[in-house]
Amino acid sequence: MAKQREYCDVAVIGGGAAGLTAAIYCGRARLKTVLFEKALPGGLATYTSEIENYPGFPEAIPGTALMKLFEKQAKRFGVEFKLTAVKQADLTGGEKVISTFRTDYVAKAVIVASGGKPRLTGAIGEESFLYDKGISFCATCDAAYYTGKKVLVVGSGDAAIEEAMFLTKFADKVQVSVIHDRGIVDANEVAKEHAFANPKLEFIWNTVVDEFRGGERLQQVVLKNIKTGELSPVDVDGCFLFIGYLPDTDLFKGQVEMDGRGYIPTDDNMATNLPGVFAVGDVRVKGLRQVATAVGDGAVGGVAAERYLAEKAYFDEQIMGGSCPTVVYCWNPTDPVCRSLMSDVEKLKEKYREQVKVVNVDMYKAGSLAARLGIQQAPALALVSDRAVAYRALECTDVRAIEAELAKMIG
Amino acid sequence: MAEFSLDALGEACPIPLLKVQKKWPDLKGGDVLIIHIDHSCALKNIPEWARKEGHNVEVEEVEDGVWDIYIEKTA
Ligand SMILES: Cc1cc2nc3c(=O)[nH]c(=O)nc-3n(C[C@H](O)[C@H](O)[C@H](O)COP(=O)(O)OP(=O)(O)OC[C@H]3O[C@@H](n4cnc5c(N)ncnc54)[C@H](O)[C@@H]3O)c2cc1C
Repeated sequence: MAKQREYCDVAVIGGGAAGLTAAIYCGRARLKTVLFEKALPGGLATYTSEIENYPGFPEAIPGTALMKLFEKQAKRFGVEFKLTAVKQADLTGGEKVISTFRTDYVAKAVIVASGGKPRLTGAIGEESFLYDKGISFCATCDAAYYTGKKVLVVGSGDAAIEEAMFLTKFADKVQVSVIHDRGIVDANEVAKEHAFANPKLEFIWNTVVDEFRGGERLQQVVLKNIKTGELSPVDVDGCFLFIGYLPDTDLFKGQVEMDGRGYIPTDDNMATNLPGVFAVGDVRVKGLRQVATAVGDGAVGGVAAERYLAEKAYFDEQIMGGSCPTVVYCWNPTDPVCRSLMSDVEKLKEKYREQVKVVNVDMYKAGSLAARLGIQQAPALALVSDRAVAYRALECTDVRAIEAELAKMIG
Repeated sequence: MAEFSLDALGEACPIPLLKVQKKWPDLKGGDVLIIHIDHSCALKNIPEWARKEGHNVEVEEVEDGVWDIYIEKTA
């Protein structure tokens, strides 16, 4: 089957809080926006029973309910949803190509919002019990199944402790394996207080998972005491892992710059090392990975993508796309030298009228436009012809050099 | 290339995935299995399992909260 080709302005990879927010901003800017999601729209936030700290919802809200609202809002602004995995992404060129198994999408800008995936313990036997065979990462998904049963939670951060408490509403017994010393968990104080007061929760301190055992399904988790090395088997019906998350960025390796763990560094505008490629949410190198910060990133990244596209269109059409030679004057309106040179530029424009186009670039407002011409400092002039920079006058004080080049060009 | 379909409407996890895994040996390479679901949890584990096994997955939201998962078995 031949692959189809489709075109869009912005491709958003990942439909979690960050991607959905970026898509809302792009959709609202009337950009043709396509969002790719390989699982449930809403991302990791849909794995949690209650979100207590997202402003605007004083009574706490289930993760799935909150994210459904994000999704609805994105759809209202015309965002197109493709519920399939991005299999390949070619991000280095001016045109970015995002491939799913049926279609190649050609996008002018890409927002990477692929978030995280749960970390595994790496213990013996783990692989055999993934995918509904007893090891789970999502309490909201699987809690009901464990009604009246016995489960083990591994981890001690906010997610682990909060989900463990949620599980006590269903399971008969919930044990929590914590790597730290007695009484120490990584969760917030409120969760910690509630957890220690919950009679259905039992903590097993100083332990990590050594082995998962069972037949068709998981039956036993062997914990290892990190101090004594002692192994203790715990009989369970299921085990929930909340030991952190890893960035889902394998797809972009070798193109987008990453740190040693696979997180993507960006500047304040969410720009990556590649022009037209932005990263938002949990995939970024950042200090706090939450819905609220993912939303902030999404807003910034969405607007940055919009500005990038507007600037690119202006550059391609107004600066590079003239039918006659184009003189580009990069200036700074507050600088007296630039202002006096401006009158010379105006005279040049008068003199050559029909034969030349003159464009002024305000370095303060549009420094990145000048950078595309290889100009960092005002005042400077560039002469563009046939979609290429033919001549640059850097640190100039008059228009003589550029006029000489222009004269040669138009004969 | 045959097309099979499975009704998992009203079923919570892990039932939909278990149904898919049970039906799977009946499919040949190139065949497509369509699973109808209305519990969002199945949108997480079914596509992930299928992709991990190397098959192609696409989901269509039929109406609000109801989805068809298409899995194409690779040869
Ligand atoms: C159990 C749990 C409890 C939490 N509790 C809270 C809380 O109470 N408060 C709070 O603020 N935060 C909480 N968080 C954190 C919060 O969920 C994350 O910070 C947030 O989801 C980050 O959003 P994101 O959009 O950056 O990434 P994600 O939510 O991870 O979304 C990324 C999306 O991209 C998709 N994707 C990845 N690769 C591809 C691809 N190749 N093709 C298509 N799609 C792709 C994934 O399927 C995923 O849906 C919790 C997280 C967990 C797991």
